[in-house]
Amino acid sequence: MSAVVVSSVTKTFNPGRPDEVVALSDVDLTVGDGEFVSLIGPSGCGKSTLLRLIADLIAPTTGTVTVAGKPAGVARKEQAYGIAFQQSGLFEWRTVLRNVELPLELRGLAKAERKAKAEEMLALVGLEEFAGHYPAQLSGGMQQRVAIARALAVQPPLLLMDEPFGALDEMTRERLQSELLAICAKTGTSTVFVTHSISEAVFLSDRVVVMSARPGRITASIPVGLPTRDEAARQSEHYFESVTAVRQALRGTPLKSAS
Amino acid sequence: MRYARSVLPPVVVGVVAIILWQVTVTAGRIAPFILPAPSAIWDEFVVQRANIWEAALASGANALIGLIAGAVLGVLAAMASSRFRPLAEVSLPFAAVLNALPIIALAPILNNMFESTSSIPRRLVAAIIVFFPVFINTLRGLREVNPIHQELMRTYAASGWTFARKVRLPGALPHVFTGLRQASSLAVIAAVVAEYFGGLQNGLGSRITSAAAFTAYPRAWAFVVGACLLGLVFYLTTLLLERLAMPWRTRLIA
Repeated sequence: MSAVVVSSVTKTFNPGRPDEVVALSDVDLTVGDGEFVSLIGPSGCGKSTLLRLIADLIAPTTGTVTVAGKPAGVARKEQAYGIAFQQSGLFEWRTVLRNVELPLELRGLAKAERKAKAEEMLALVGLEEFAGHYPAQLSGGMQQRVAIARALAVQPPLLLMDEPFGALDEMTRERLQSELLAICAKTGTSTVFVTHSISEAVFLSDRVVVMSARPGRITASIPVGLPTRDEAARQSEHYFESVTAVRQALRGTPLKSAS
Repeated sequence: MRYARSVLPPVVVGVVAIILWQVTVTAGRIAPFILPAPSAIWDEFVVQRANIWEAALASGANALIGLIAGAVLGVLAAMASSRFRPLAEVSLPFAAVLNALPIIALAPILNNMFESTSSIPRRLVAAIIVFFPVFINTLRGLREVNPIHQELMRTYAASGWTFARKVRLPGALPHVFTGLRQASSLAVIAAVVAEYFGGLQNGLGSRITSAAAFTAYPRAWAFVVGACLLGLVFYLTTLLLERLAMPWRTRLIA
Protein backbone atom coordinates (compact mmCIF):
# COMPACT_ATOMS: atom_id res chain seq x y z
CA MET A 1 0.00 0.00 0.00
CA SER A 2 1.22 3.49 -0.78
CA ALA A 3 1.63 6.10 1.94
CA VAL A 4 0.15 8.85 -0.21
CA VAL A 5 -1.77 8.77 -3.47
CA VAL A 6 -2.72 12.06 -5.10
CA SER A 7 -4.69 11.56 -8.28
CA SER A 8 -5.71 14.18 -10.85
CA VAL A 9 -5.87 16.90 -8.24
CA THR A 10 -6.62 20.48 -9.20
CA LYS A 11 -6.74 23.33 -6.73
CA THR A 12 -8.20 26.71 -7.62
CA PHE A 13 -8.26 29.50 -5.04
CA ASN A 14 -11.08 32.07 -5.19
CA PRO A 15 -12.86 30.33 -8.09
CA GLY A 16 -15.05 32.55 -10.23
CA ARG A 17 -13.58 35.76 -8.80
CA PRO A 18 -11.26 38.26 -10.47
CA ASP A 19 -8.40 37.10 -8.21
CA GLU A 20 -8.85 33.47 -9.18
CA VAL A 21 -5.59 31.50 -8.99
CA VAL A 22 -4.99 28.01 -10.31
CA ALA A 23 -2.50 26.78 -7.72
CA LEU A 24 -2.34 23.19 -8.91
CA SER A 25 -3.40 21.70 -12.18
CA ASP A 26 -3.86 18.00 -12.76
CA VAL A 27 -1.32 16.67 -10.26
CA ASP A 28 -0.61 12.97 -9.76
CA LEU A 29 1.78 11.82 -7.07
CA THR A 30 2.39 8.54 -5.31
CA VAL A 31 4.63 8.16 -2.27
CA GLY A 32 5.58 4.59 -1.45
CA ASP A 33 5.81 3.18 2.06
CA GLY A 34 8.99 4.32 3.72
CA GLU A 35 9.87 6.53 0.77
CA PHE A 36 11.39 9.98 1.22
CA VAL A 37 10.04 12.35 -1.45
CA SER A 38 11.01 16.00 -1.83
CA LEU A 39 8.87 18.58 -3.60
CA ILE A 40 10.98 21.31 -5.15
CA GLY A 41 10.16 24.24 -7.37
CA PRO A 42 10.13 28.04 -7.61
CA SER A 43 7.93 30.13 -5.31
CA GLY A 44 4.31 29.92 -6.29
CA CYS A 45 4.57 26.48 -7.88
CA GLY A 46 2.11 25.09 -5.37
CA LYS A 47 4.43 22.77 -3.46
CA SER A 48 3.16 23.99 -0.10
CA THR A 49 -0.39 23.81 -1.42
CA LEU A 50 0.19 20.19 -2.40
CA LEU A 51 1.50 19.42 1.09
CA ARG A 52 -1.51 21.10 2.68
CA LEU A 53 -3.82 19.05 0.46
CA ILE A 54 -2.19 15.85 1.68
CA ALA A 55 -2.56 17.12 5.25
CA ASP A 56 -6.25 17.92 4.57
CA LEU A 57 -5.66 21.49 5.74
CA ILE A 58 -7.30 22.53 2.48
CA ALA A 59 -9.59 20.56 0.17
CA PRO A 60 -8.88 19.87 -3.51
CA THR A 61 -11.13 21.49 -6.10
CA THR A 62 -11.17 18.27 -8.11
CA GLY A 63 -9.44 14.92 -7.71
CA THR A 64 -8.77 12.77 -4.66
CA VAL A 65 -6.08 12.53 -1.98
CA THR A 66 -5.54 9.22 -0.19
CA VAL A 67 -3.29 8.80 2.84
CA ALA A 68 -2.51 5.26 4.00
CA GLY A 69 -5.42 3.95 1.95
CA LYS A 70 -7.93 6.34 3.52
CA PRO A 71 -9.35 9.66 2.34
CA ALA A 72 -7.15 12.54 3.57
CA GLY A 73 -9.86 13.83 5.92
CA VAL A 74 -10.18 10.50 7.70
CA ALA A 75 -6.40 10.17 7.93
CA ARG A 76 -6.14 13.60 9.52
CA LYS A 77 -8.72 12.78 12.16
CA GLU A 78 -6.79 9.60 12.98
CA GLN A 79 -3.56 11.60 13.24
CA ALA A 80 -2.07 9.39 10.53
CA TYR A 81 0.65 11.94 9.86
CA GLY A 82 2.90 14.34 11.73
CA ILE A 83 3.60 17.79 10.35
CA ALA A 84 6.31 20.44 10.76
CA PHE A 85 6.50 23.91 9.23
CA GLN A 86 9.20 26.44 8.49
CA GLN A 87 8.37 28.13 11.78
CA SER A 88 8.49 25.73 14.66
CA GLY A 89 5.06 26.89 15.86
CA LEU A 90 5.78 25.79 19.42
CA PHE A 91 3.37 26.90 22.13
CA GLU A 92 5.43 29.40 24.11
CA TRP A 93 3.44 28.84 27.31
CA ARG A 94 4.25 25.13 27.39
CA THR A 95 7.56 23.64 28.32
CA VAL A 96 9.45 21.69 25.68
CA LEU A 97 8.19 18.42 27.13
CA ARG A 98 4.59 19.58 27.28
CA ASN A 99 4.82 20.80 23.68
CA VAL A 100 5.80 17.33 22.54
CA GLU A 101 3.06 15.87 24.73
CA LEU A 102 0.31 17.95 23.13
CA PRO A 103 -0.60 15.66 20.20
CA LEU A 104 -0.59 12.71 22.61
CA GLU A 105 -2.76 14.63 25.04
CA LEU A 106 -5.32 15.22 22.30
CA ARG A 107 -5.27 11.54 21.54
CA GLY A 108 -6.34 10.92 25.10
CA LEU A 109 -3.21 9.13 26.33
CA ALA A 110 -2.72 8.79 30.08
CA LYS A 111 -0.36 11.27 31.70
CA ALA A 112 2.46 8.87 32.55
CA GLU A 113 2.31 7.24 29.15
CA ARG A 114 2.51 10.47 27.19
CA LYS A 115 5.32 11.76 29.39
CA ALA A 116 7.35 8.62 28.71
CA LYS A 117 6.66 8.83 24.99
CA ALA A 118 7.51 12.54 24.81
CA GLU A 119 10.77 11.97 26.69
CA GLU A 120 11.63 9.22 24.24
CA MET A 121 11.03 11.60 21.31
CA LEU A 122 13.14 14.32 22.91
CA ALA A 123 15.94 11.82 23.34
CA LEU A 124 15.60 10.98 19.66
CA VAL A 125 16.33 14.61 18.71
CA GLY A 126 18.94 14.94 21.46
CA LEU A 127 17.11 17.43 23.65
CA GLU A 128 16.22 15.38 26.73
CA GLU A 129 18.06 17.82 29.01
CA PHE A 130 15.87 20.67 27.81
CA ALA A 131 12.53 19.07 28.67
CA GLY A 132 11.77 21.66 31.37
CA HIS A 133 12.78 24.70 29.31
CA TYR A 134 10.37 27.05 27.61
CA PRO A 135 10.68 27.40 23.80
CA ALA A 136 11.87 31.00 23.97
CA GLN A 137 14.92 29.81 25.93
CA LEU A 138 16.07 27.65 23.00
CA SER A 139 17.89 28.52 19.78
CA GLY A 140 16.07 28.36 16.44
CA GLY A 141 17.64 25.02 15.56
CA MET A 142 16.66 23.52 18.90
CA GLN A 143 13.11 24.80 18.53
CA GLN A 144 12.89 23.15 15.13
CA ARG A 145 14.11 19.88 16.64
CA VAL A 146 11.38 20.10 19.26
CA ALA A 147 8.87 20.65 16.46
CA ILE A 148 10.15 17.51 14.73
CA ALA A 149 9.95 15.55 17.98
CA ARG A 150 6.37 16.75 18.33
CA ALA A 151 5.54 15.72 14.76
CA LEU A 152 6.94 12.26 15.50
CA ALA A 153 5.30 11.91 18.92
CA VAL A 154 2.28 9.91 17.78
CA GLN A 155 4.67 7.75 15.73
CA PRO A 156 2.83 8.51 12.51
CA PRO A 157 3.51 6.41 9.41
CA LEU A 158 3.81 9.64 7.43
CA LEU A 159 5.78 12.84 8.06
CA LEU A 160 4.90 16.05 6.21
CA MET A 161 7.46 18.84 6.30
CA ASP A 162 7.14 22.31 4.81
CA GLU A 163 10.64 23.82 4.54
CA PRO A 164 11.37 22.86 8.14
CA PHE A 165 15.04 23.90 7.90
CA GLY A 166 14.45 26.96 5.70
CA ALA A 167 15.09 29.50 8.44
CA LEU A 168 18.22 27.85 9.85
CA ASP A 169 21.88 28.51 9.18
CA GLU A 170 23.74 26.13 6.87
CA MET A 171 25.60 24.24 9.62
CA THR A 172 22.56 23.61 11.76
CA ARG A 173 20.61 22.70 8.68
CA GLU A 174 23.09 20.00 7.61
CA ARG A 175 23.20 18.53 11.10
CA LEU A 176 19.41 18.39 11.29
CA GLN A 177 19.23 16.81 7.83
CA SER A 178 21.41 13.93 9.02
CA GLU A 179 19.38 13.60 12.21
CA LEU A 180 16.14 13.53 10.26
CA LEU A 181 17.43 10.81 7.96
CA ALA A 182 18.56 8.71 10.91
CA ILE A 183 15.15 9.08 12.55
CA CYS A 184 13.27 8.21 9.36
CA ALA A 185 15.46 5.17 8.82
CA LYS A 186 14.96 4.04 12.40
CA THR A 187 11.18 4.50 12.43
CA GLY A 188 10.46 3.56 8.81
CA THR A 189 8.45 6.74 8.32
CA SER A 190 7.42 7.87 4.85
CA THR A 191 8.18 11.54 4.28
CA VAL A 192 7.02 14.33 2.01
CA PHE A 193 9.47 17.19 2.27
CA VAL A 194 8.95 20.62 0.70
CA THR A 195 12.09 22.63 0.03
CA HIS A 196 13.55 25.11 -2.40
CA SER A 197 17.12 23.96 -1.86
CA ILE A 198 18.36 21.61 -4.57
CA SER A 199 21.20 20.23 -2.46
CA GLU A 200 18.86 19.55 0.45
CA ALA A 201 16.36 17.75 -1.76
CA VAL A 202 19.03 15.58 -3.39
CA PHE A 203 20.80 14.70 -0.16
CA LEU A 204 17.65 13.69 1.69
CA SER A 205 15.44 12.08 -0.89
CA ASP A 206 14.81 8.78 -2.54
CA ARG A 207 13.03 10.79 -5.19
CA VAL A 208 12.87 14.50 -6.04
CA VAL A 209 9.63 15.75 -7.56
CA VAL A 210 10.14 18.93 -9.58
CA MET A 211 7.28 21.39 -9.96
CA SER A 212 6.78 24.50 -12.04
CA ALA A 213 4.57 27.53 -11.57
CA ARG A 214 1.52 29.06 -13.23
CA PRO A 215 -0.23 26.74 -13.17
CA GLY A 216 1.45 24.59 -10.53
CA ARG A 217 2.20 21.16 -11.92
CA ILE A 218 4.69 18.34 -11.65
CA THR A 219 7.24 18.49 -14.48
CA ALA A 220 9.69 15.77 -13.47
CA SER A 221 10.29 13.00 -10.98
CA ILE A 222 13.95 12.23 -10.48
CA PRO A 223 15.03 9.17 -8.49
CA VAL A 224 18.15 9.85 -6.42
CA GLY A 225 18.77 7.17 -3.84
CA LEU A 226 22.29 7.90 -2.69
CA PRO A 227 23.85 4.63 -1.49
CA THR A 228 24.95 6.28 1.79
CA ARG A 229 23.88 9.52 3.46
CA ASP A 230 27.05 10.82 5.09
CA GLU A 231 29.66 13.50 4.46
CA ALA A 232 31.19 11.40 1.70
CA ALA A 233 27.82 11.27 -0.05
CA ARG A 234 27.79 15.07 -0.27
CA GLN A 235 31.03 14.85 -2.28
CA SER A 236 30.14 11.89 -4.46
CA GLU A 237 29.77 11.81 -8.22
CA HIS A 238 26.25 10.47 -7.90
CA TYR A 239 25.28 13.43 -5.71
CA PHE A 240 26.52 16.03 -8.19
CA GLU A 241 24.92 14.24 -11.13
CA SER A 242 21.58 14.29 -9.32
CA VAL A 243 21.97 17.97 -8.41
CA THR A 244 22.59 18.73 -12.08
CA ALA A 245 19.60 16.65 -13.16
CA VAL A 246 17.29 18.47 -10.73
CA ARG A 247 18.67 21.85 -11.76
CA GLN A 248 18.03 21.06 -15.42
CA ALA A 249 14.53 19.91 -14.67
CA LEU A 250 13.88 23.13 -12.75
CA ARG A 251 15.08 25.23 -15.71
CA GLY A 252 13.01 23.13 -18.06
CA THR A 253 15.93 22.77 -20.51
CA PRO A 254 19.05 20.63 -20.50
CA LEU A 255 22.18 22.61 -19.65
CA LYS A 256 24.21 23.65 -22.66
CA SER A 257 27.47 23.00 -20.90
CA ALA A 258 30.60 20.91 -20.73
CA SER A 259 29.31 17.38 -21.07
CA MET B 1 23.66 44.95 42.38
CA ARG B 2 21.46 45.11 39.30
CA TYR B 3 18.45 45.30 41.59
CA ALA B 4 19.97 48.22 43.47
CA ARG B 5 20.75 50.02 40.25
CA SER B 6 17.16 49.79 39.06
CA VAL B 7 15.61 50.77 42.41
CA LEU B 8 18.02 53.50 43.48
CA PRO B 9 17.29 56.24 40.89
CA PRO B 10 13.52 56.49 41.49
CA VAL B 11 14.05 56.40 45.28
CA VAL B 12 16.62 59.20 45.11
CA VAL B 13 14.37 61.31 42.89
CA GLY B 14 11.43 60.71 45.25
CA VAL B 15 13.41 61.68 48.37
CA VAL B 16 14.81 64.80 46.69
CA ALA B 17 11.30 65.82 45.57
CA ILE B 18 9.92 65.47 49.11
CA ILE B 19 12.82 67.48 50.57
CA LEU B 20 12.28 70.22 47.97
CA TRP B 21 8.58 70.22 48.78
CA GLN B 22 9.31 70.54 52.52
CA VAL B 23 11.82 73.34 52.01
CA THR B 24 9.56 75.25 49.61
CA VAL B 25 6.59 75.12 51.95
CA THR B 26 8.47 76.11 55.12
CA ALA B 27 10.83 78.68 53.58
CA GLY B 28 8.21 80.10 51.23
CA ARG B 29 5.63 80.31 54.03
CA ILE B 30 2.96 78.76 51.85
CA ALA B 31 -0.34 78.63 53.68
CA PRO B 32 -1.15 75.08 54.82
CA PHE B 33 -4.58 75.19 53.13
CA ILE B 34 -2.85 75.68 49.79
CA LEU B 35 -0.17 73.05 50.25
CA PRO B 36 0.68 71.42 53.57
CA ALA B 37 4.25 70.35 54.22
CA PRO B 38 5.06 66.65 53.87
CA SER B 39 6.03 66.59 57.54
CA ALA B 40 2.54 67.80 58.49
CA ILE B 41 0.93 65.19 56.24
CA TRP B 42 3.14 62.52 57.75
CA ASP B 43 2.17 63.59 61.31
CA GLU B 44 -1.52 63.34 60.40
CA PHE B 45 -0.89 60.01 58.69
CA VAL B 46 0.60 58.62 61.91
CA VAL B 47 -2.21 60.05 64.08
CA GLN B 48 -4.93 58.81 61.75
CA ARG B 49 -3.35 55.47 60.89
CA ALA B 50 -6.13 53.40 62.45
CA ASN B 51 -8.80 55.41 60.60
CA ILE B 52 -6.88 55.26 57.36
CA TRP B 53 -6.48 51.51 57.72
CA GLU B 54 -10.19 51.02 58.37
CA ALA B 55 -11.28 53.27 55.51
CA ALA B 56 -8.74 51.63 53.20
CA LEU B 57 -10.13 48.21 54.08
CA ALA B 58 -13.65 49.35 53.20
CA SER B 59 -12.56 50.98 49.91
CA GLY B 60 -10.24 48.07 49.17
CA ALA B 61 -13.06 45.55 49.58
CA ASN B 62 -15.28 47.60 47.26
CA ALA B 63 -12.53 47.93 44.67
CA LEU B 64 -11.64 44.24 44.89
CA ILE B 65 -15.21 43.02 44.48
CA GLY B 66 -15.77 45.44 41.62
CA LEU B 67 -12.48 44.41 40.01
CA ILE B 68 -13.23 40.69 40.21
CA ALA B 69 -16.81 41.06 38.97
CA GLY B 70 -15.84 43.41 36.13
CA ALA B 71 -12.86 41.28 35.10
CA VAL B 72 -14.81 38.02 35.09
CA LEU B 73 -17.58 39.62 33.04
CA GLY B 74 -15.04 41.21 30.72
CA VAL B 75 -13.26 37.92 30.05
CA LEU B 76 -16.52 36.00 29.57
CA ALA B 77 -17.90 38.66 27.23
CA ALA B 78 -14.66 38.62 25.24
CA MET B 79 -14.79 34.83 24.97
CA ALA B 80 -18.37 34.93 23.74
CA SER B 81 -17.57 37.72 21.28
CA SER B 82 -14.55 35.93 19.87
CA ARG B 83 -16.58 32.76 19.43
CA PHE B 84 -19.54 34.35 17.66
CA ARG B 85 -18.44 36.98 15.20
CA PRO B 86 -21.79 38.82 14.97
CA LEU B 87 -21.70 39.26 18.73
CA ALA B 88 -18.33 41.02 18.49
CA GLU B 89 -19.68 43.39 15.85
CA VAL B 90 -22.54 44.33 18.14
CA SER B 91 -20.66 44.38 21.43
CA LEU B 92 -17.61 46.42 20.35
CA PRO B 93 -19.49 49.67 19.64
CA PHE B 94 -21.57 49.02 22.72
CA ALA B 95 -18.43 48.66 24.83
CA ALA B 96 -17.00 51.80 23.23
CA VAL B 97 -20.10 53.75 24.26
CA LEU B 98 -19.80 52.32 27.75
CA ASN B 99 -16.20 53.47 27.87
CA ALA B 100 -16.97 56.96 26.62
CA LEU B 101 -19.57 57.36 29.36
CA PRO B 102 -18.16 59.17 32.42
CA ILE B 103 -19.00 56.26 34.70
CA ILE B 104 -18.29 58.23 37.85
CA ALA B 105 -21.18 60.46 36.81
CA LEU B 106 -23.43 57.45 37.25
CA ALA B 107 -22.52 57.24 40.93
CA PRO B 108 -25.21 59.68 42.21
CA ILE B 109 -27.87 57.91 40.16
CA LEU B 110 -26.78 54.49 41.36
CA ASN B 111 -26.63 55.77 44.93
CA ASN B 112 -30.29 56.71 44.67
CA MET B 113 -31.21 53.35 43.19
CA PHE B 114 -30.04 51.49 46.30
CA GLU B 115 -30.40 52.07 50.02
CA SER B 116 -27.98 54.51 51.62
CA THR B 117 -26.43 51.66 53.63
CA SER B 118 -25.70 49.61 50.54
CA SER B 119 -22.18 49.04 49.25
CA ILE B 120 -23.49 47.93 45.87
CA PRO B 121 -23.35 51.31 44.05
CA ARG B 122 -19.62 51.80 44.63
CA ARG B 123 -18.87 48.23 43.63
CA LEU B 124 -21.04 48.58 40.55
CA VAL B 125 -19.18 51.71 39.46
CA ALA B 126 -15.85 49.93 39.92
CA ALA B 127 -17.07 46.88 38.02
CA ILE B 128 -18.31 48.92 35.05
CA ILE B 129 -15.04 50.84 34.86
CA VAL B 130 -13.02 47.62 35.03
CA PHE B 131 -15.08 45.87 32.38
CA PHE B 132 -13.93 47.86 29.37
CA PRO B 133 -10.12 47.53 29.45
CA VAL B 134 -10.39 43.84 30.34
CA PHE B 135 -12.94 43.16 27.59
CA ILE B 136 -11.10 44.99 24.82
CA ASN B 137 -7.67 43.58 25.63
CA THR B 138 -8.90 40.02 26.10
CA LEU B 139 -10.83 40.15 22.85
CA ARG B 140 -7.73 41.34 21.03
CA GLY B 141 -5.72 38.51 22.56
CA LEU B 142 -8.30 35.88 21.71
CA ARG B 143 -8.40 37.03 18.11
CA GLU B 144 -4.65 37.01 17.59
CA VAL B 145 -4.03 33.32 17.10
CA ASN B 146 -0.83 32.25 15.36
CA PRO B 147 -1.98 30.72 12.02
CA ILE B 148 0.51 27.86 12.48
CA HIS B 149 -1.07 27.01 15.83
CA GLN B 150 -4.41 26.98 14.10
CA GLU B 151 -3.20 24.57 11.41
CA LEU B 152 -1.43 22.38 13.94
CA MET B 153 -4.53 22.01 16.08
CA ARG B 154 -6.44 21.13 12.94
CA THR B 155 -3.98 18.35 12.17
CA TYR B 156 -4.54 17.09 15.73
CA ALA B 157 -8.27 17.02 14.95
CA ALA B 158 -8.87 19.24 18.00
CA SER B 159 -12.43 20.36 18.72
CA GLY B 160 -13.40 24.02 19.03
CA TRP B 161 -13.52 23.84 22.82
CA THR B 162 -10.14 22.09 23.09
CA PHE B 163 -8.70 24.71 20.79
CA ALA B 164 -10.10 27.52 22.94
CA ARG B 165 -8.81 25.97 26.15
CA LYS B 166 -5.35 24.92 25.02
CA VAL B 167 -4.47 27.63 22.50
CA ARG B 168 -6.74 30.66 22.51
CA LEU B 169 -6.92 31.26 26.25
CA PRO B 170 -3.26 30.77 27.17
CA GLY B 171 -2.30 32.77 24.08
CA ALA B 172 -4.55 35.61 25.23
CA LEU B 173 -3.17 35.70 28.81
CA PRO B 174 -0.61 38.45 28.18
CA HIS B 175 -3.40 40.63 26.79
CA VAL B 176 -5.73 39.78 29.68
CA PHE B 177 -3.09 40.98 32.12
CA THR B 178 -2.48 44.17 30.16
CA GLY B 179 -6.18 44.88 30.69
CA LEU B 180 -6.07 43.85 34.35
CA ARG B 181 -3.11 46.11 35.09
CA GLN B 182 -5.02 49.13 33.81
CA ALA B 183 -8.18 47.94 35.53
CA SER B 184 -6.62 47.38 38.97
CA SER B 185 -5.76 51.04 39.47
CA LEU B 186 -9.03 52.17 37.91
CA ALA B 187 -11.00 50.00 40.33
CA VAL B 188 -9.44 51.75 43.34
CA ILE B 189 -10.00 55.20 41.84
CA ALA B 190 -13.63 54.32 41.11
CA ALA B 191 -14.27 52.90 44.59
CA VAL B 192 -12.78 56.00 46.27
CA VAL B 193 -14.28 58.68 44.04
CA ALA B 194 -17.76 57.12 43.94
CA GLU B 195 -18.10 58.06 47.62
CA TYR B 196 -17.86 61.76 46.75
CA PHE B 197 -21.40 61.45 45.45
CA GLY B 198 -23.13 60.08 48.52
CA GLY B 199 -24.04 56.53 49.40
CA LEU B 200 -22.48 54.67 52.30
CA GLN B 201 -19.71 56.83 53.81
CA ASN B 202 -17.13 54.47 55.28
CA GLY B 203 -14.28 54.52 52.76
CA LEU B 204 -11.33 56.74 51.89
CA GLY B 205 -13.37 59.00 49.60
CA SER B 206 -15.73 60.20 52.31
CA ARG B 207 -12.80 60.78 54.73
CA ILE B 208 -11.08 62.98 52.15
CA THR B 209 -14.19 65.07 51.49
CA SER B 210 -15.07 65.49 55.15
CA ALA B 211 -11.49 66.44 56.13
CA ALA B 212 -11.43 68.98 53.30
CA ALA B 213 -14.81 70.33 54.39
CA PHE B 214 -13.37 70.95 57.86
CA THR B 215 -10.35 72.64 56.25
CA ALA B 216 -8.18 69.95 57.83
CA TYR B 217 -5.97 69.80 54.75
CA PRO B 218 -3.06 67.81 56.14
CA ARG B 219 -5.59 65.15 57.22
CA ALA B 220 -7.22 65.16 53.78
CA TRP B 221 -3.78 64.70 52.28
CA ALA B 222 -3.03 61.85 54.68
CA PHE B 223 -6.09 60.00 53.37
CA VAL B 224 -5.05 60.77 49.79
CA VAL B 225 -1.72 59.12 50.60
CA GLY B 226 -3.70 56.15 51.93
CA ALA B 227 -5.66 55.96 48.65
CA CYS B 228 -2.41 56.14 46.71
CA LEU B 229 -0.94 53.25 48.72
CA LEU B 230 -4.11 51.22 48.21
CA GLY B 231 -3.91 51.73 44.44
CA LEU B 232 -0.25 50.70 44.55
CA VAL B 233 -1.10 47.51 46.46
CA PHE B 234 -3.68 46.61 43.80
CA TYR B 235 -1.30 47.31 40.96
CA LEU B 236 1.61 45.36 42.46
CA THR B 237 -0.63 42.41 43.32
CA THR B 238 -1.75 42.28 39.70
CA LEU B 239 1.87 42.37 38.57
CA LEU B 240 2.68 39.50 40.93
CA LEU B 241 -0.28 37.48 39.67
CA GLU B 242 0.85 38.12 36.11
CA ARG B 243 4.28 36.68 36.89
CA LEU B 244 2.79 33.66 38.62
CA ALA B 245 0.30 33.04 35.82
CA MET B 246 2.89 33.26 33.05
CA PRO B 247 6.05 31.51 34.25
CA TRP B 248 7.32 31.24 30.68
CA ARG B 249 7.82 35.00 30.66
CA THR B 250 9.41 35.46 34.06
CA ARG B 251 11.94 32.71 33.47
CA LEU B 252 13.20 34.65 30.48
CA ILE B 253 13.94 37.66 32.65
CA ALA B 254 15.57 35.65 35.43
